[in-house]
Amino acid sequence: MTTDANNSLEQDLLFAIVKEKYGHLLTDEQLAGVRNAIVGQRDVFRPIREYRLTNGVEPFSTFTPFRGD
Amino acid sequence: MPDAFTFKPIRELAGLIAGKEVSPVELTQTFLDRLERYGPHYNSLVTLTAERAFQTARQAQAEIAAGRGRGLLHGIPWGAKDLLATGGGIPTTWGAAPFRDQQFDHDATVVVRLEAAGAPLAGKLAMIELAGGMGYIHPDASLTGPPKNPWDTGRWTGGSSSGSGAAVSAGLVPFAIGSETWGSILIPANNCGLAGLRPTYGRVSRYGAMALCWTLDKLGPLCLTADDCGIVLEALSGPDTNDPSTWPEPFAYDPTYNPGRRYRVGVPRGVLDEASDAVRENFEAALENLRDVADVDEMEFPGFPYVEVTSVILMVESASAFEDFLAEGGPLELSGTGWHGRSPYARPAVLATDYIKALRLRGVMAKQVDEVMAGYDAIAAPTAMNTATPIDEEFRSRSMTSAGAGDLMGSIGNGCGLPSTSVPSGFDGDGLPTGIQFMSRAYDENVCLAIAREYQARTEWHRRHPPEPEVRDS
Repeated sequence: MTTDANNSLEQDLLFAIVKEKYGHLLTDEQLAGVRNAIVGQRDVFRPIREYRLTNGVEPFSTFTPFRGD
Repeated sequence: MPDAFTFKPIRELAGLIAGKEVSPVELTQTFLDRLERYGPHYNSLVTLTAERAFQTARQAQAEIAAGRGRGLLHGIPWGAKDLLATGGGIPTTWGAAPFRDQQFDHDATVVVRLEAAGAPLAGKLAMIELAGGMGYIHPDASLTGPPKNPWDTGRWTGGSSSGSGAAVSAGLVPFAIGSETWGSILIPANNCGLAGLRPTYGRVSRYGAMALCWTLDKLGPLCLTADDCGIVLEALSGPDTNDPSTWPEPFAYDPTYNPGRRYRVGVPRGVLDEASDAVRENFEAALENLRDVADVDEMEFPGFPYVEVTSVILMVESASAFEDFLAEGGPLELSGTGWHGRSPYARPAVLATDYIKALRLRGVMAKQVDEVMAGYDAIAAPTAMNTATPIDEEFRSRSMTSAGAGDLMGSIGNGCGLPSTSVPSGFDGDGLPTGIQFMSRAYDENVCLAIAREYQARTEWHRRHPPEPEVRDS
């Protein structure tokens, strides 16, 4: 499959998840808006996915174990 | 007609109180009257907090009379964006119809700190619903109606700290607190002709403030001058055990800060590409003005997908913060029209790996941006590329869910948690303000404030104020 086709399948699957969770709340018009937004989000993910990071680069937020006393 | 106390910076008002030319109670009465009379005219007031304000003002008056002054804010009234929790039966609406009756049994830390400084809380101020967190494209997205700009009520204040911007600009309070996740302090400052300060992330406790995005939310002041912003930030800042993200050192405002050399100001290459003519002309004039005290050089940030990284973090954290609200259909009860193309229901459709990758990239971004910024005292840019837009129109086409042309300064500044202050840089042909922002390295608020003060010492834009509105007594 081409990248575009993969992307399209991914957006279809993501939309299916949203529709399953929230579809009962939304009209057809609103669901169409959700779908458009999900398709638009491809452009947000693309440069993030394309940027290569080495294995040791951690999320920029630190987990600290908690001890109450 | 404005009275003798309206449109006076904090330092001047404090001098009047110290000189017994006005008492904290009189000052509080003055601003409560103005808030009550003009607040609804601008759709900027949610709740007048007169009883609470007078309680603080009376205490301030007694303490000052007894020689126990608490500092420059002692007896100076202020307004709070209505996402700051207030106990005592005062509603905290988050600017949204579904939360119009919401009450808390505690005060936000910033409310506690300002009242500890002796500053009376005069009112809770309007905002874009949920700080714009569900995605909005029209100024009507506010519980109290579209927030009107005091410079022209046919224009918008900007959001989401809309009422905070309008109230200070119209002289309804001497200063106000707003919040910024991405643009919500600086844009109202720009549109309303004010000084606004977005502090470093963690400088000010977020405890008791509505959470939109835990790692992007900041609280900060909207004021008449950069000097005022420094005074207020000092009172707000400091560690808070209720907010583990707070920086351990309190901010000590230095109103005399000077690097002992010429300032070094960088201007990002291409930053004026999308600016309107008025914004461009005023920005270039501002830089020319600053060349008296600063070396101004073009610079370039390292290449990263700043807008995309910050957008993904915002999408995912806001979807989680409002998970129950989404599941209950809450967004369908909001006032804003036209959100379908920016549907909040698309936000949960982000893979965990994309969010974590954005958090990893954020660290690399923050380090490389800091390396570049170490060569400058501040990076200067227009605060917004246009003046205030019409109140009855969609205000932008850029979608949070599409990269678009992007907001370089906003995505870097908020994504990396950097401080920035905006001050007025002039007006356009319609009499609407433009702004210039100065963004500094993390925790360098004294530096960006110093440059903004230098600029304000050389210009008069901040001394202009909107006309007094004609409001009929009911």
